[in-house]
Amino acid sequence: MSGKHGHKPFEGHMHDYLAHIKAVEEDLEYYRAKRFEPRIIYLLRRGVVTFYDLLKVRSTLKKKDHFFKIGKPQGKNIEARVRYLEEWLDEYVKGIALVSARTVEGMDMVTEDNRKERGDYDDFFKIKKKEHHGELEERMVNVAQDLKDYQELLEVFVHALILRGWASRVELEQRWKQLHEERPWAGGVIVAKAWSDPEFKQALLTTGREALREMGVHQGKVGKLVVVENTDQAHNVVVCTLCSCYPYDILGDTPWWYKHESYRTNIVQNPRQCVKEMFQLEIPADKEMRVWDSTSDVRYFALPQRLAGTEGMAEKELAKLVTVDSLIGAGYALEPEQQRAAERAGAAPEAPRIRPD
Amino acid sequence: MESNSKYRIGDAVTVAAENPTGNPRTPHYIRGKRGVIGSVHGILENIRDHRGVHKPLYTVKFDLSEISTCHDQDTIWVDVHEEWLSEVRQDG
Repeated sequence: MSGKHGHKPFEGHMHDYLAHIKAVEEDLEYYRAKRFEPRIIYLLRRGVVTFYDLLKVRSTLKKKDHFFKIGKPQGKNIEARVRYLEEWLDEYVKGIALVSARTVEGMDMVTEDNRKERGDYDDFFKIKKKEHHGELEERMVNVAQDLKDYQELLEVFVHALILRGWASRVELEQRWKQLHEERPWAGGVIVAKAWSDPEFKQALLTTGREALREMGVHQGKVGKLVVVENTDQAHNVVVCTLCSCYPYDILGDTPWWYKHESYRTNIVQNPRQCVKEMFQLEIPADKEMRVWDSTSDVRYFALPQRLAGTEGMAEKELAKLVTVDSLIGAGYALEPEQQRAAERAGAAPEAPRIRPD
Repeated sequence: MESNSKYRIGDAVTVAAENPTGNPRTPHYIRGKRGVIGSVHGILENIRDHRGVHKPLYTVKFDLSEISTCHDQDTIWVDVHEEWLSEVRQDG
């Protein structure tokens, strides 16, 4: 297990353990209730997998045959335990990606089916998320137990798919390996090129994905890409008020708060107050805020402004100034000094994981 | 594909208050509200996300004051399919 993930509190550094654990809780419930369980329910309804397959597998499964191998914390201190839970969550999320329509023959399911099944359009179908309480230690114990429980259902589900002949272990193992192969994060590279090359910037703003094809970075596949430019006149912010749409195929997983209801509600009701409270971002009064709600087949990201004092910097150095938050409009690009200080402190902002298709 | 689209950039439109049995992904906070066409995307195919294709898609620009009690001069841009939109008479 390696430690790059989008399940981080705003600060990004490991000094507020409770914030890290709350981010894990939020993300874990999101992936269970929005991504995984609707998928099982969809297949149960259609008899592709049955409850009885799951029971049968559960009663005969031996530990040595487990598909997922979850390690142990690298130490007994709190930091090691928090990292362990974050990494476990990351494995769980990848495990859900493993049992998708892309891997499993017979799972004839598109995103829209999942949205219906999880209640995006009808509260009747919503799967209740668990609420968490208590102090740090209690929460860590509880979230570890949840991970164990949820991981077990995932494990059993994988074996049920194999039992019913919808997937073979060999294919799943190949796919599992692919899911662990990371691509470099494209966010910084794209922005640095746009800052340095006006022609590319123009192409990016007018043609989206087409421009990415020409520069040779992975251009993803989901929907149309629109890049919105932050300027002295306008500050752009991206949201999906319905679920959590985002150009993740290019930019990796979103931070946990992007999927959180408070962000999705407040950003379209009072954008200035929302970015001030959540990200300590004060947008000047004479600047227009534009909020982009990705409700259909367009995916958005914001092109952050290039800061003064970065003239003459090489693209490779410029790329380090680009943060995940700045592409959503929840932050600005870093000042070179901020970036150097973060690097010296060993707390350079981590890029999100980009999964291969 | 944009040529199949009924509206042009700058057209004033109203979003239907009820779902006209179209794409269900029009959020409630813009239903019944007035906006202006900001971009015309035409018919987009996205086979990973849904079966078949929807009607032409637009990005509609709303003044924040149209959809919330907040009066900042900010704007909300939302993607809406054609069946949800109707024209606003400029004199109305």
